[in-house]
Amino acid sequence: MPPDQLDADSNAVISNSSLSPSRLVSFARTMRAIGARIRFDKLALFAISLFFFILAITLMKEGARSLTPLVRDTFAVTNAANSLGFGWLFAYVVMSGSPVAAAALTFFDAGAIDKLGAFAMITGSRLGASFIVIFIGFVYVLRGRDRATSLGMGLLSLSVTGTTYLVALAVGVTMLQMELVDWIQLQSGAFLNSITDLIFDPIVALFIEFLPRWLLFLVGLGIIMLSFSLFDRCLPQMTLKESQVGRMSRLVYRPWVMFGLGSLLTLISMSVSISLSILVPLSQRGFIRRENVIPYIMGANITTFIDTLLAAVLLDHPPAFTVVLVEMLSITLVSMVILATMYYHYERAMLGFVAWVTARKRNLALFMISIFVVPIILMRL
Amino acid sequence: MRLLIATGGAPHSDLAVRVGAQIAERTRSNSTILVVIKREEDRSRMAAILSRAQQLLGKETSESQIKVRVGHPAEQIIREAEENNYDLVILGEKPSHDLVTRFMGSTVERVVEHAPCPVLVAKGKIGPLRRFLLCDSGVAEPTLLSRFMVRLAKLIEDKVDVTVLHVMSQMSAGPGVRGEQLRASAEELMQKHAPEGELLEQDIQTLKQLNLQPRPKVRHGLVVDEILAEAQSGDYDLVIIGAHQGKGWQRFLLDDLAHQIIVQADRPVLVVR
Repeated sequence: MPPDQLDADSNAVISNSSLSPSRLVSFARTMRAIGARIRFDKLALFAISLFFFILAITLMKEGARSLTPLVRDTFAVTNAANSLGFGWLFAYVVMSGSPVAAAALTFFDAGAIDKLGAFAMITGSRLGASFIVIFIGFVYVLRGRDRATSLGMGLLSLSVTGTTYLVALAVGVTMLQMELVDWIQLQSGAFLNSITDLIFDPIVALFIEFLPRWLLFLVGLGIIMLSFSLFDRCLPQMTLKESQVGRMSRLVYRPWVMFGLGSLLTLISMSVSISLSILVPLSQRGFIRRENVIPYIMGANITTFIDTLLAAVLLDHPPAFTVVLVEMLSITLVSMVILATMYYHYERAMLGFVAWVTARKRNLALFMISIFVVPIILMRL
Repeated sequence: MRLLIATGGAPHSDLAVRVGAQIAERTRSNSTILVVIKREEDRSRMAAILSRAQQLLGKETSESQIKVRVGHPAEQIIREAEENNYDLVILGEKPSHDLVTRFMGSTVERVVEHAPCPVLVAKGKIGPLRRFLLCDSGVAEPTLLSRFMVRLAKLIEDKVDVTVLHVMSQMSAGPGVRGEQLRASAEELMQKHAPEGELLEQDIQTLKQLNLQPRPKVRHGLVVDEILAEAQSGDYDLVIIGAHQGKGWQRFLLDDLAHQIIVQADRPVLVVR
């Protein structure tokens, strides 16, 4: 660059960057306002929950190997079918899907289950997680509330999850067997692990010194549940009221719009149950349009794996990363095919099923029995 | 009222002419018959098309104006509606299941989307228009009934039976939500002054001022399905719905329920904008 041009450019920069006192005051005010809005307590809580999450994964990884005989021999988790049932029932026990998905990865990492087993167990964890909303609704029904109102959302969530995940299971198994996405790996995984090893290895060594190996897994499972609970608390308040969103909550959106919204909100909240609960206060009366719910759940079911993907990265086990990636891709593929080609019939089938279950006590009893019996049968296969 | 009745001589256009004739006679309106032909070479068909339309219109023929336009049917109907201040466009729906129409949009779909005035899609069994099903969602401002009254008040001036329907497609968003209103009838919602009840009350009062005896009704379920089910079970002669909100961000975000109702309905549908 010629010197004269350099001077001219420098002057331009100087003249642009020179701020008048009133501008500086305004800038300072803006920064103060932004600072005032940042909830440092929430940020600290987020850091703590992330710390616990990484610690939990590290502990579960260490403990999983000693649980291999228990998983293989006692629970007889040896194939995809009983892995599915195992993940499903495991999620019932811990009342959450994400810890079970993380456990599936640690079992896979330890060699207790194979790639297909891990994939099926993660699928089972999502099916089990959908039961929780139904369980809460069922408690309301037992207390005398209306069946359709109390159970509608839970049943719809389980129906959508069940139908899409079971089809995605077949798609995913094919993708895994054909090794279609094995080449996709997170390059920064090893670097991330070298940092976490530096921090967490001494802590884990301390645990190993005082606890038996098998107990490390259970302690890790407890800590991961604690970390999810803390993470839920550090989320920004997403309880929008109807008055704040105008008539938006009363409109019927295109299915693709709700699909995107469900994906986005679950990506932020990392939990289907939280992203579903965001819907409750959207209307003052807690109502949401039927037309909007199914694609929202479909979207939420994809990005809910983001924490499992992080767990796979932390395990530094490329095949585990592939398993989670295939899970997300297969669900995305199945959901998009449904939305693009058969959504009209699918929506009516799902709502029809929910209406059938809630129509009579006998149907509800049959359904409740089946969601316990099916995973038990799968476990026996 | 100024009516624009579009025809291309096909059987589905005959339905539009028959409905148009009936409305023109009842409301003593000025009607314009618009014959759209795709190419200049088709002008030879004009005489037959006009003769057929005149036969269907009967005594209304003498008071009708006849216009001919050459080009794409949807574009020509919309242009005619834009250039002259019509209160209602009436056209028939060509039954089509081919993929090209599905992706490109049918003539009806394009006219309903772009016409500057209400559009009546004549289809199914056409009889005397006596029983109206007014489907008010309450989400658009001004309300469907207010928009209807601006241009089409004459349609309901005498001896029509109007049912005002609101479909509640909402369900409980969580297990703990009390949902009595999700099962309530129109009367219960009106008594409780629920938002849906207030909407129905407002519509009912407006219609009563016209010496009509309207009936409020609420159905619970998917909007499209419930409107179609009510239209069939009540054997209504005309289903009145609001147009898709096709402006700005809403055009891309909101579902086009009006289109779904038009496609699936087995009777005439009036789309009010």
